[in-house]
Amino acid sequence: MPIPFIMPKMDMDQEVVTITLWLKKEGDRIEKGEPVIEVETDKIASEIEAPESGILANILYHENEEAPVTKAVAYILQEGETAQDLPIPTSGIKPAIPEPAQAHTEDAGAKPAVSATPLAEKVLLKLNIPANQVPASGSKLTRKDVEAYIEKMQDQVAPRVHVAATPAARSLAEERGIALEDVIGSGPRQRVQAADILQISNQQASEHMVATKELMSTSVPMVGKRKRIAERLTTSYQSVPHIFLTVEVDMSRSEAARKRMNEVAEKNSQPAVSMTAYLVKVVAWALKRHPYLNAVLEGNSIQLLQNVHVGVATALEDGLIVPVIHDADLLPIQLINEKLRYLTRQARNGALTANEVTGGTFTISNLGMFGIKSFTAIINPPQSAILAVGGLMRKPVVIDDRDTIAVRPMLSLTLGADHRVVDGAVAASFLAELANALETPELVLY
Amino acid sequence: MTIWKKEEFDNFETTDVLEKSASLGLSHEQLVEMYRTMVKIRLFEEMADKQYALGKVHGTMHLSAGQEAVAVGTGFAVQKGDYLLNHHRGHGHFIASGADVNKMMAEFLGKDTGYCHGRGGSMHIADVTANNLGANGIVGGGLQLAAGVGLAVQMKKTDQIVLTIFGDGAANEGIFHESLNMAGIWNLPILYLCENNQYGMSANVAVVSAKTPFKDRAAAYGIPGYYIEGNDVLAVYEYVRNAAEYIRAGKGPVFIEAQTYRYFGHSKSDRNLYRTKEEIDYWKSVEDPINRFEKLLQTAKLIDAESISKIKEELTKEIDESVTFAENSPEPNVKDVMEWVYA
Amino acid sequence: MPEITYREAIHDAMVEEMRRDESVFLIGEDIGSYGGAFGVSAGMLAEFGPQRIRETPISELAIVGAAAGAAMVGMKPIAELMFMDFVLLALEPLMNQAAKARYMFGGKATVPMVVRMPGGSGTGAAAQHSQSLESLLMHIPGIKVVAPSTAYDAKGLLLSAIRDPNPVCFVEHKLLYKVKGEVPEGEYTIPIGLAEIKHPGEDITVVTSGIMVQKSLAVAQKLSQEGISVEVLDLRTLRPMDNQAIITSVKKTGRLLVVHEAVQTGGWAGEVIATVSSSEAFDYLDAPMRRLAGKDVPIPYNRFLEAAAVPQEVDIEAEVRAIVSNKY
Repeated sequence: MPIPFIMPKMDMDQEVVTITLWLKKEGDRIEKGEPVIEVETDKIASEIEAPESGILANILYHENEEAPVTKAVAYILQEGETAQDLPIPTSGIKPAIPEPAQAHTEDAGAKPAVSATPLAEKVLLKLNIPANQVPASGSKLTRKDVEAYIEKMQDQVAPRVHVAATPAARSLAEERGIALEDVIGSGPRQRVQAADILQISNQQASEHMVATKELMSTSVPMVGKRKRIAERLTTSYQSVPHIFLTVEVDMSRSEAARKRMNEVAEKNSQPAVSMTAYLVKVVAWALKRHPYLNAVLEGNSIQLLQNVHVGVATALEDGLIVPVIHDADLLPIQLINEKLRYLTRQARNGALTANEVTGGTFTISNLGMFGIKSFTAIINPPQSAILAVGGLMRKPVVIDDRDTIAVRPMLSLTLGADHRVVDGAVAASFLAELANALETPELVLY
Repeated sequence: MTIWKKEEFDNFETTDVLEKSASLGLSHEQLVEMYRTMVKIRLFEEMADKQYALGKVHGTMHLSAGQEAVAVGTGFAVQKGDYLLNHHRGHGHFIASGADVNKMMAEFLGKDTGYCHGRGGSMHIADVTANNLGANGIVGGGLQLAAGVGLAVQMKKTDQIVLTIFGDGAANEGIFHESLNMAGIWNLPILYLCENNQYGMSANVAVVSAKTPFKDRAAAYGIPGYYIEGNDVLAVYEYVRNAAEYIRAGKGPVFIEAQTYRYFGHSKSDRNLYRTKEEIDYWKSVEDPINRFEKLLQTAKLIDAESISKIKEELTKEIDESVTFAENSPEPNVKDVMEWVYA
Repeated sequence: MPEITYREAIHDAMVEEMRRDESVFLIGEDIGSYGGAFGVSAGMLAEFGPQRIRETPISELAIVGAAAGAAMVGMKPIAELMFMDFVLLALEPLMNQAAKARYMFGGKATVPMVVRMPGGSGTGAAAQHSQSLESLLMHIPGIKVVAPSTAYDAKGLLLSAIRDPNPVCFVEHKLLYKVKGEVPEGEYTIPIGLAEIKHPGEDITVVTSGIMVQKSLAVAQKLSQEGISVEVLDLRTLRPMDNQAIITSVKKTGRLLVVHEAVQTGGWAGEVIATVSSSEAFDYLDAPMRRLAGKDVPIPYNRFLEAAAVPQEVDIEAEVRAIVSNKY
């Protein structure tokens, strides 16, 4: 077998040498140890000696070529061997580069090109987005799909609001469901410290704790109310951007309706329907048509609540309490009235249960009985709006476009809304519809 | 060109092996065994070089071809159980002390079956259980350890000696002086063997050493010193054995400087720019220790062309097999990288 | 319980172990009739003789090298270096030979040696005799580094160090030699690699060692009267470091201050802080982690400059107050 003439590796990092001179040519006899090749690396010139004796054959790398080390650069034929015995030269010839695997899979399992609606295509083209990046919801790529994709991309790119907070504060905030953006930090550079989170969380926790305590028993008196109220309302006042809209409503037709209801009630020995109960019904009706007023802000998203639970702020000796009429939109006024009477009585006795004061989605606060014309109320967190109801006052008002003046029972309603959730126009729209419904009660039946 | 002056040596050149071996109490079998071991070392080093050229050795190697007589003369003159502290050009000494070439080759290839489970490589090869405390990657590294080992032997009152082998370069390290001083004051049982192969890495010993021969430095510490011809295997044997006896008798340390020459470069990156081809050729032809001993043995009719070629054939086979063994051995498990940092 | 000095505790540990184990011996300069530069080996020559109280020439390189060699063949040497600064002359045998022999030789060698060295400033010995170099030593895998702060810890840890089959650097502080502490009679060991809370607290964790433990404790006492609760964690061992103790403490307090005499740049406080930062304790941090260390300056001779070069009680107090009051 011909002996491979291997180019020795001479340096630790060496991979190639440059052949500068073959001292012998193919067919020459060479002796073991005799210098046969002169080579050069970037460091030095050297002579390479023959590893064995024989006839030099099949030179694979020539002068001024680079040869790889530890590989054969030629062969040495032994006694009786000829060129026929030479192995097919494999070193020095670059092996055929196999087709990259990807090419095959692309052919085999290539996805068919997605077709898009003309509008979708237009949007994609305008925004320079390749169609195959956008997931299609159906068989065709629609504009909605593209918009959803863009929104997703933006969400990923849009920087989060950065709040400086210590790791401990962050863990606590996450644990307790408190948004860091809502917290004013007490640390340097307004950094939120753990203590800041604990403070807020303790407020909430004590309320929650009191509420959960009551779940264990049937009637447990509330304690420390004044303090709690102060804390909650302070937080609401400080952290919720309130907008206030006022409207004066002509209650003549609602009052007439209520009078007729009360005639029926008397006949059936039922209690007379209070104005508050009447308001609860109409407000609930209006809330169903204006979902942003019946919402809570959780973290970065607005939860539009399905159910309408209207709370009615009730003044007691030791403070404010807000019993809740659950699903007020589904109840007839008569039932709302009964519930309200019951809750008010319970409240006066200090016997409200946890269920009766939680879950409210909107609050009505009525100070009319004190003769207050109008006022602004502070939103009851985590709700997004509150309706402050003033006293019913008989006032002269213009009733037609001929400037006829009549005396009508006017009710001042002031809506307080969380501007993060409810824009002015949205609030106005709700209030307008509410006013309309109170002035034209038949609309509620529609 | 470096050619030594033989008249400066303390030993007489061996000219008649039969006479010499008789005076040393060596049998003819032992003489042939010495020859055989020298050839084994040479073939092993050449194979190591070849493995490196084939790209199978990660790192570098320091080959001792040309220095076989020092290795074999020393290795045969000490006893089993004596401590050995070696330098980085230590393959020859290791083989002369009876090492298994399979495990050596496996260690060079970094395999788990090597002497150090692939953790040490050529420069840190050791067989601690056989009292071989390793080749050392730091020049002179063994000299300090030797002082401690000698101290321990003395305190344990055994009759072991501490053979510490170092090169001409190490004789200029600070530790050389601290070690010899300590051995001198405490009479430690250390045999300081300086294997002077003329060059550190590229620096000629005469240029970098103020006052040679090094035995004069030993004298400065009150240690008896000898300067011998390292390529005369029986001369090495004689002096090392006498020194070992002296040390075992509790008389204190001994210093031997053995002159020799290395054929390969310092390491695998050495392009031999600091010496001439003529010089290397001279040593390979005129002063080669194996050739000299072979001629003497042939003259004494202890070996002939046939037995020589048989020896070479057997050894070539043994070494080829060590390569096969090493190649077929497994690599250490990467998960075990943190093993053995602490006891 | 009897009270002895830190110096006496180290002396006793060596004497008691040398009585039990023939293979233990002391090697170093002036350890014989002089009794050691700091008096630690007083009386030992008389009891154990010159073989085992092996006085050497001034040859730090060979002292540690010989200790390594002797340890490799079955002895248990304790090398005493006169000043920690001189370990720089012996780094090669310590870091290239002793630390690596076991690993390089595939697990077949052990080097059970101890290198004792007094370090630290405050005695007016100036730049070349006052360094705290433990940060260098703990950088090398294969070595253990121990730094006791009390007599009790010194005795228990030295015993463990002598019995440990690995090379152990035993770092003593010069100013602690005369400090007394309660040390029980009889044999006891303290495991290497175990930290100790010397003063429990809730508001901040101070991780420290050596003489800074004493200073930190004084600060902790003072601040406890003002309602600032400082937890002082004495590492006792620098390598391997008791990371679990550090993490547990920081999780509890949420604040970390590392105090050491060694120079700040490249000092081991960075190691502690990096460890905490990469651990679950990160989520509990309520203030940035900080360190108080030796200034990047050679130790000066003048006594006021010398004191200014390393953390003092007032510095530790100020830093603790600042961290606890969210100044950073």
